[in-house]
Amino acid sequence: MTYFADKQPLVADIFSRYPGSPQGRRSALMPLLREVQNAHGYVSEPQMTEIAALCGTTATEVRSVMSFYSTYHTVPTGKYHLQVCSTLMCSLAGSDELWDHLVETLDVQPGEVSPDGRFSVQKVECLGSCGTAPMMQIADEGYYENVTPSKCARILAALHADAPPTPDNLVPVTVNAEGRQTLANGEMVGASIGGLSPLTGGTA
Amino acid sequence: MKVTIDGVQVELPAGTSAIDAVFHAGQDVPFFCAHSYLSPVGACRMCLIESGSPRKNPDGSFVMEGEGDAATPKIFWFPKPMASCTMQATEGMHIRTAATSDVVAKAQAGMMEFTLLNHPLDCPTCDKGGACELQDRAFEYGYGASRFGFDRRHADKHYPLSDFVILDQERCIHCKRCVRYFEEVPGQEVLDFIERGGHTFIDTEEGGLPTGFQGNITDICPVGALLDNVARFRGRNWEYDHTPTTCTLCPAGCSITADARNGRLERVVARENRDVNEAWICDAGRFGHVFASEARLTKPLIRVNGELVETGWDEAIAAIRAGLGGMNTADLALFLHADSTLEEGAALEALAALTGTNSVDHWPRYPAEVLSNATLNDIATADAVVVLGADLGAEAPIVELRVLEMLRGGILPPEYAHGTAIADLRLVERPARKPEKLAVIGSASRLSGNAGTFVEAANVDLLTLIRPDSEGARAALNLLNSAKNPVLILGADVLNGASAGAFATQLSDLVSRTGAKVMAIPAAANSRGLAHLNLVPRSGGQGYAAVNHTRAAFISRLDPVATGQRPSGFTIVHDTHLTATAQAADVVLPAVTNYEKRGTTVNVEGRLLPLQQAALNAGEAADLTRTLAALAEALGLRTRIRGLKSAQALLQTRLGVDVTDLPEAGAIRPLGPVYTAPTGQVHRPQLWTERMTLKPDSWKATWVDRIESLVENKWELPMAGSSLAGGDD
Repeated sequence: MTYFADKQPLVADIFSRYPGSPQGRRSALMPLLREVQNAHGYVSEPQMTEIAALCGTTATEVRSVMSFYSTYHTVPTGKYHLQVCSTLMCSLAGSDELWDHLVETLDVQPGEVSPDGRFSVQKVECLGSCGTAPMMQIADEGYYENVTPSKCARILAALHADAPPTPDNLVPVTVNAEGRQTLANGEMVGASIGGLSPLTGGTA
Repeated sequence: MKVTIDGVQVELPAGTSAIDAVFHAGQDVPFFCAHSYLSPVGACRMCLIESGSPRKNPDGSFVMEGEGDAATPKIFWFPKPMASCTMQATEGMHIRTAATSDVVAKAQAGMMEFTLLNHPLDCPTCDKGGACELQDRAFEYGYGASRFGFDRRHADKHYPLSDFVILDQERCIHCKRCVRYFEEVPGQEVLDFIERGGHTFIDTEEGGLPTGFQGNITDICPVGALLDNVARFRGRNWEYDHTPTTCTLCPAGCSITADARNGRLERVVARENRDVNEAWICDAGRFGHVFASEARLTKPLIRVNGELVETGWDEAIAAIRAGLGGMNTADLALFLHADSTLEEGAALEALAALTGTNSVDHWPRYPAEVLSNATLNDIATADAVVVLGADLGAEAPIVELRVLEMLRGGILPPEYAHGTAIADLRLVERPARKPEKLAVIGSASRLSGNAGTFVEAANVDLLTLIRPDSEGARAALNLLNSAKNPVLILGADVLNGASAGAFATQLSDLVSRTGAKVMAIPAAANSRGLAHLNLVPRSGGQGYAAVNHTRAAFISRLDPVATGQRPSGFTIVHDTHLTATAQAADVVLPAVTNYEKRGTTVNVEGRLLPLQQAALNAGEAADLTRTLAALAEALGLRTRIRGLKSAQALLQTRLGVDVTDLPEAGAIRPLGPVYTAPTGQVHRPQLWTERMTLKPDSWKATWVDRIESLVENKWELPMAGSSLAGGDD
């Protein structure tokens, strides 16, 4: 059975966020991919074809969009998908050593899942945490910063026990009903749109 | 609109892109991603120029510089070089190219260096070498040396996108022409960029490119990344003899270049013809040429003791004379293929007049000849098209492409001093299509999937449209009625059933009611031209359908045996290959393919298009004109038509057209009345024939298989021996 066959309300909800035109339907591509990936940890080829049919496009386009983002996966991922930043700052601060350590201790290569199904690893480009390099993130749970060898060992031990430690920096930032950005732990970040005042002339 | 390029002022129409302004003024900029018939996207960043415009004061006067009478509008230059393909030229704009601007020259050389970073240095083994845009532009605009001292990107160099197209991922420079081509022209989103940044490559997720129009991406690829697998590794570009000619596999009459090497036809590429095929050809026309160099008949064959044996023309003429011995020349039926040239048709008509035979026919043709008055550009710019009983993909693929062009707005790029606009800013990526402008009635085809109205019907005739009995047919008729410039396309399903009288009345009635222009797809490449010559059975004569009942027959490039007929009398076959009919014939005369003919063909619009002779090795093969001269000799007749010149002179008197001065793009000329006769059989259009594909074993073989088979067969490199025969001088 296809993934969305029994999820018609969900599909309808996603499509309702976009215009009904052919171009508008294509916009639903990303949330549909996210649905599948949240459920399976990756998007398989039959599911790409299914999403393409839903959006009125081709599997080639779906794969093109997916492959642009390092956060979509075409191969199965583990329960904890570790993404290590390998761009300049982290690299200078030792992300290569961190990567080697991960690959060796977990005995897993990119694209593989460790035998216990827990771990998969991936090198990604800059995640914007250069001040706390080297860093790694677990899927979209949050950032672990300043990951030294001993910190890495602690994190891995906790993950082996299926008790992931609280990330140093929580992502994603979501926007709540009041238009405020909040972290996963409820902490408010950024400004609210209600508190904005114009920079030039006039009154608010 | 006045624009100044490198100090040269030119007058240009509004809407011109800066790149066209530059070329119109006789200057040059390098570019890779722009293409006349695709949307400009500014992907390659090579067409950089410096540009600036005058600015106006709030009172409407120009901001001036200089004093008194010497004052001129001040030009405000953009702070950085701009991509000229995506920029519109404006009134008073000044442009500097690399010829006058060091900034531009340096920026272009820098861009070239980026483009070449990951481009492999395999020009010596690359099929594109010598005809490569990147190679030429790197020579003209590059630094000449690379500062890049690291490993280049390595990727798959032999990645088959389909049986016909091989992708070299390392060579790709990400100009996106192929991706845009598939999205914009055939409307199939089957290619796209995968990954991003330096890892980007082209791939499809559809399990291969769809056959139809995929080969065009090998033409537009500015580098050797997408290569025609049929021509791959067959020759270098400077070794080919390039012959500009016309494709005669279907009645569209696309302009092509036939590239031959060592007497073999190795490659066919599209040639631009703004009125016919723009820059595209179909896959059959591009890849289906293998028959021209495989298993050709090169000598006449005569039957000796029941076996066909090779001989010379003199012996063959003698054999014909002996075989027909004493027979009345009027008993020899003359049949020719309807893709023969006008000259050949005229020669056959003249010979028929000499022999007095009533049994003359050309095939394939339809019982009624509907002269189209719509041109292909009319279709592209129509506001409604109704396709009745046609599978355009099999009958005339380029017509299908022009219909798809109509759906996306029918924007024909303008023409400048340098030719077709390089970047037409009206063309946009992901064009909005209007399927409601197209109605298809007939069997399901590739085109019907793009139609707003599709009526699936097995038996289609004009009445289906004139007296619509379904919702869809009524919608199609409404579409014709309400449009300003509608075009009605008629295909085989309708034309096979066309009887001379009633059909013409119905059609003229429909045309006068709707104001539609008509395009009837002829049965074969030159059926429309040959219809103007008396090449149909006259009263008392046998048509091609009755080839079984002729006492003697001359059959040129037709294969009745393959369709279950068997000429019983003395049979002379004139063909390029040993077909089933040739195998059963008494005398076989070798023919040339249409790639090796000089002559004239008439396409679906009535456009006279020239054929030129490609340098193919055809042995003693002769075209129909010269073969008929030999036949006349065997019959003891003296014909005036003995070659191309005399046939063209005959056409001048016979049809009133001078075919010797045709422009390269062809010309539509009136050809006078048409001759029609019942056909007695139904024509089923088929674009791809068996001989157009390579044999399966050599076709599918990979290089690994090829090398293994060479090793198993103890192949050795052919080396000259230590002593050459005849001494070593």
